[in-house]
Amino acid sequence: MTADATRAPSEARDTDSVTATEGTSTAPATSAAAATPSEPTDGGTTSIRSGAFWGWTALGLLVVLGLAALTRYLEQNVPVFFEDTAVEDIAGAIEYPVYAILLGLLGNVLVTLLGLRDRIAAAFRTEFFIKTGLVLLGASINLSVIASAAGPAIAQAILLISGVFLFTWWLAGRFGLDDKLRALLAAAVSICGVSAAIAAAGAVRARREQLAYTASLVILFALPSIFILPWLADVFGLEDAVAGAWIGGNIDTTAAVTAAGALAGEEALQIASIVKVTQNALMGVVAVALTAYFTLRVERQPGAARPGLGEVWRRFPKFVLGFVAASVIATWYLDGAGADGKAVIGVVNDLRVWFLILAFVSIGLEFRVASLREAGWRPVAVFASATVFNLLLALGLASLLFRGFDG
Amino acid sequence: MSDESQARPDPSASPPTASESRLAFNEDWAATILGLVLLVLVLVGVIPTGLVP
Repeated sequence: MTADATRAPSEARDTDSVTATEGTSTAPATSAAAATPSEPTDGGTTSIRSGAFWGWTALGLLVVLGLAALTRYLEQNVPVFFEDTAVEDIAGAIEYPVYAILLGLLGNVLVTLLGLRDRIAAAFRTEFFIKTGLVLLGASINLSVIASAAGPAIAQAILLISGVFLFTWWLAGRFGLDDKLRALLAAAVSICGVSAAIAAAGAVRARREQLAYTASLVILFALPSIFILPWLADVFGLEDAVAGAWIGGNIDTTAAVTAAGALAGEEALQIASIVKVTQNALMGVVAVALTAYFTLRVERQPGAARPGLGEVWRRFPKFVLGFVAASVIATWYLDGAGADGKAVIGVVNDLRVWFLILAFVSIGLEFRVASLREAGWRPVAVFASATVFNLLLALGLASLLFRGFDG
Repeated sequence: MSDESQARPDPSASPPTASESRLAFNEDWAATILGLVLLVLVLVGVIPTGLVP
């Protein structure tokens, strides 16, 4: 989904007759001259895929897989290369998210210079990779941990989403941003980054460039958070569970939560994932509320029906079910398999790491600053302020709800 | 509201970001199915220990 969103600028150039980015008076027009050689893939033409499209996508997949393989190689061999040297400790401490994101950014520069980036971008499926990885992660979390963490995770998610969404909505209004952009920014900061922005975009009928812009902001803020939050958690001396809940509640995009959690440790990763998956699960509720608000209040469509439970289900992120199902299956399997079972689950964990690496490589590959330059400073200021608010509120809630947590 | 100046969208038309939303939901199911299939393949021994680098 991240990939979809960040591909959107080129699509918008091809298809939308937009003369200025909404809500930002300083935004320049998107010009035809800026059009990329990528194929138009707007909503009306997604069903028309040429052979060339699939060829370029296959090439993109090879790029992602190649960088992922290089990441895995570096993760396993760099500590060996630097054994008995002055940098031995540093080499051993660098985890796979660091290699994957840096190689992804490096690959981004290379494919951009070669003029291939937009052609192969359909292969950068960050959200698909991360969701598959999270389903597999469910297999390494005992069902009792999910059951124990569910209460505080749900409480934290409801309080955090409500508080951060309303704060961002209010602040964006004070900055004079358009209501649709307000909804996208508020959903992205408060719930789960790009996924939530996509859900909100569908709910409020946002423009493609607003979605692309919000997605770029999410990635821009998530990248440093991956490294800063685990470091701050260490500086503050947070317990693993509190650190995980803080990371899960604060970093916007699920892929970055997983990367930061992996850097903070296995228990922190598990709690961060549970907290983030819980927030993901509430995305459907927020999307439906936004649909109702914009349909009945903002756009006031005559005769519009109120969205019901079916709409909640349609917008519910289904991978959450896979995450819980994997935990149920693995817990049941380990109960019967005994000591040998752990080695088998180790294979699942290896597969999980591969999918997470694919996701982190894709984060680096799809990052682009162009759409940020187009939108002006006000949304950036709103997003930054909301992120600080989220940081503090999440720290308070995580400390309150997860202190002394024993899964 | 602050977007009063913008054109009212046609209620019957799909949102301009509808394709992203549809794709997102499809990816949810695809990720769920792939993840669970891989898990089952490992548990039944089709993907043995040592195969994944």
